[in-house]
Amino acid sequence: MSSAEHSAPAATSVQPRPAELREQLETARRQLIENYKMAALGRLLAGIVHEINSPIGSILSNNQVILRSLELLQEAVRDSQERGQPPPAKALEILETLSGLASVDKIACARISSVIRGLKSFSRVDDSELQKVDLHEVLSDALRLTSCEFRRRIAIAVDFAELPPVECHPQMMNQVFVNILVNAAQAIQQEGTISVSTRLEDGWVHIAITDSGCGIRPQDRPKIFTPGFSTKPIGIGTGLGLSICKQIVEQSHGGSLGFDSEPGAGTTFHIRIPLHHKKSAE
Amino acid sequence: METDSKPSVVIVDDEEMVITSLRAFLRLETDFRVEGFTDAEQAVEFLRGNSVDVVVSDYLMPKMNGIQFLAHAKVSQPQASRVLLTGHADKQSAIQAINEVQLFQYLEKPWENSQLLLVIQSGIERAQLIRNLRDKVSELDAAHSNLKEVHARLLRAFL
Repeated sequence: MSSAEHSAPAATSVQPRPAELREQLETARRQLIENYKMAALGRLLAGIVHEINSPIGSILSNNQVILRSLELLQEAVRDSQERGQPPPAKALEILETLSGLASVDKIACARISSVIRGLKSFSRVDDSELQKVDLHEVLSDALRLTSCEFRRRIAIAVDFAELPPVECHPQMMNQVFVNILVNAAQAIQQEGTISVSTRLEDGWVHIAITDSGCGIRPQDRPKIFTPGFSTKPIGIGTGLGLSICKQIVEQSHGGSLGFDSEPGAGTTFHIRIPLHHKKSAE
Repeated sequence: METDSKPSVVIVDDEEMVITSLRAFLRLETDFRVEGFTDAEQAVEFLRGNSVDVVVSDYLMPKMNGIQFLAHAKVSQPQASRVLLTGHADKQSAIQAINEVQLFQYLEKPWENSQLLLVIQSGIERAQLIRNLRDKVSELDAAHSNLKEVHARLLRAFL
């Protein structure tokens, strides 16, 4: 060290003010939530791609068949016109086929739209602005997205009560629902049921998500909201999901996240958030 | 076992829309007999009593996956060509399918109609060749037995 540095008065280090620290923490927390959401999206992607592949395959195939059938129809009608005869029976057959394929295309397009909509909701960058939303739409979008994973083996039962618009961060709540639904599906080994219900309880919205899966072992219960804790094999999941859900529900919404579980019978997660948002105590 | 001169194709996919599309395409371009099943168990039952040339199956299905289904198909219809047409494209299942059920072709969704048609046509050709070969071998075996019998009788006559 030079003598100049030795003799100069010690620079007073400026301590960041508590408000600044809180802001930094909040920013870091938001970033963590956002990162986790992207990681979750990546894992869901395989199921989503699979879900879209069948309807797209159908639409492409149908389009080709429709174009070719229209050619044949044109020829058949032209031929019979030239001979001054009514259109042949084959023409009617082709028309019936075309009608059937058009109906299939409609179903296929609806399926693709549904998946994309679920994806859009989930991938939207979170607004820091609170919004008044139909929470059932948020839940339905989450169901659409996650059912790509388990539609074939798990039945979904939905019981929605009358709910007024709920003041919340809809993309964050969407993330909570997606996370809990994915966990629910993973808890069910073969076939089973996931039930989703909503109730209005004295100014609070209570969302319950129940699975018929393996349940949470008593020794795991105190730890499931701990960051990094996971019961899944190594490489599957980061163990951050539920801790982030808890942050979103409790810190960003002033609500509560809890569960009931019976090993071998299933688990119900209870999400409670206020109808009108209150700033949560830090 | 019921046989017909027209080539026979079975399609198994839990998505009704895929079966409708494939059936419409094959009906337009070919004279194949096409049977579609959204339930793999019903398809297994059908294969027990009906001779087919090509079996096309999806991979991800409820009750049993495509590889499990094609394993059943291999037992009841060993000469039929087995094709996996799947939206779930991972190398593991492809390798498993090829090894466990001696898959004829592996195709990904969304499929190309012209490519699928070529695969099905080759599959039919292969199945018919195998059937013909099996029939010829049976004929040869029968002829060989007859010859042996005649030879034995000749020997007995001259000794």
